[in-house]
Amino acid sequence: MKHYLYLHAQSARSALLKILRQPFGNLLNLLMLAIALALPVSLYLGVSSLQQWTAKLNTTPQITLFMELSSEPADLAAVESSLKHHPRVAAYRFVHKDAALKELEQRSGLNAISEGLGSNPLPHAFIVTPQPLEPAMLDLLQKELSGLPMVELAQFDAAWARKLHAMITLAGQLAWLLAAVFALAMVLINHNTIRMQILARQEEIAVSKLIGATDSFIRRPFLYHAAWQGGLSALLCWGLSSGLAYQANPALAEFASLYGIDAQLRSLQPLEVLAMLLGAMLLSMLGARLAADHHLRKNQPA
Amino acid sequence: MIRFDQVTKRYPGGHEALRNLSFTVESGEMVFLAGHSGAGKSTLLKLVSGIERATSGNVLVNNQNLSKLRASQLPYVRQHIGVVFQDHKILFDRTVFDNVMLPLDIIGFDRRDAQRRVRAALDKVGLAGKEKVMPIRLSGGEQQRLCIARAVVHRPSILLADEPSANLDRAYALDIMELFKSFHQVGVTVLISAHDETLMEDYGRRIIRLREGQFAA
Repeated sequence: MKHYLYLHAQSARSALLKILRQPFGNLLNLLMLAIALALPVSLYLGVSSLQQWTAKLNTTPQITLFMELSSEPADLAAVESSLKHHPRVAAYRFVHKDAALKELEQRSGLNAISEGLGSNPLPHAFIVTPQPLEPAMLDLLQKELSGLPMVELAQFDAAWARKLHAMITLAGQLAWLLAAVFALAMVLINHNTIRMQILARQEEIAVSKLIGATDSFIRRPFLYHAAWQGGLSALLCWGLSSGLAYQANPALAEFASLYGIDAQLRSLQPLEVLAMLLGAMLLSMLGARLAADHHLRKNQPA
Repeated sequence: MIRFDQVTKRYPGGHEALRNLSFTVESGEMVFLAGHSGAGKSTLLKLVSGIERATSGNVLVNNQNLSKLRASQLPYVRQHIGVVFQDHKILFDRTVFDNVMLPLDIIGFDRRDAQRRVRAALDKVGLAGKEKVMPIRLSGGEQQRLCIARAVVHRPSILLADEPSANLDRAYALDIMELFKSFHQVGVTVLISAHDETLMEDYGRRIIRLREGQFAA
């Protein structure tokens, strides 16, 4: 067992040395793979950053309940008590119609509105802050609240939140779709580079088989080469995406501050880097394995 | 031990290289294989090393029936056999040392142990000073010796040589034969093919004569 591990360490080492011996050509190869990886990874980071910000935004939407003009204090108390005990209502605030009028006067600068109108045309209102909910649940809540007695209107503009949510979901799906496409590209690129290597070492492979090499011995250096190639390109991609976030963040922060949001593109977490590393290595090895198996099958002695 | 039991080898296209051939080579024996080119010598050696498979009949090598062995098991049979190929099959992209190292890499020898063995094998065939030389710089005779070193470095129990003395002058050919004899003396089963019988007769060993895939009278 120890000897077996020693042999594999040996193969891994010589495969790495082989890559380092041709730094320029291999760097180009690695860059190609890294860029292919960086596209879905960047999109993924963008989408998950956006999800983080909108998670903060989703707590702010409010539902305004306008009461009927004829509502009595008893009605107000009834609505208030059902809001108080509602499980999906986080907080609420009562706005008296006189206070609303005063605010309107202040904002519009028309001090004489009330004098001209004679009586206050504004209704009493409750401003309800729901618990953080999915857009669909918010819709339900709005309908439920508008059904309370003596509530004329429950106003809530959920459309923008729903659109935003749908767009983020779409972008997320696009990221996964891209990831699938580039995973396939990863396999194909490795298949191709390993196939070239096999062709260059055809004679060595043929002689090795004649003097007792097993198929796994023949495959081993190519699998290790592909594993290194995948692993190194994943690290390079990590660098690229971090660099991108580093470049984009100042501009993004400035833009977001206009809306009073603290927005930053997040970078990959250690666990995500590990997953990407393993994924890239496995996909590369799959490409190499397919190329090697194809060659071995084609050159099977009779 | 090598045993052929009614072995026939027919190549695609219908050419019969060996016809219903039966014989035994005992462990530790040294046997010559004679016959004109095309008589089936190379095919016979290829059947022993599992490079080709018999069309019918059984080929037993070290008590394993190669005709019944799965393809994935053949490499392990080859690892116990040393082959001196007719066309040498030397790799010209690496040094003499690395050429001889190849069988040990395949078997998975410890690096340091392997290096010692490679030096011993090169010393044995008289290439001790040429470890770092590229094979293209070697003479024909030296390339032949390199091929022999590679065939014996893993100490196989069976050594096969296909026309090892072809293209060599007689003195050099005798040298090579002496080399094979020395392997035979330490217990290796040796099977050598040649079309020049005068070289064999000096040794007083058994000679299997082939003609058109059968024993010649």
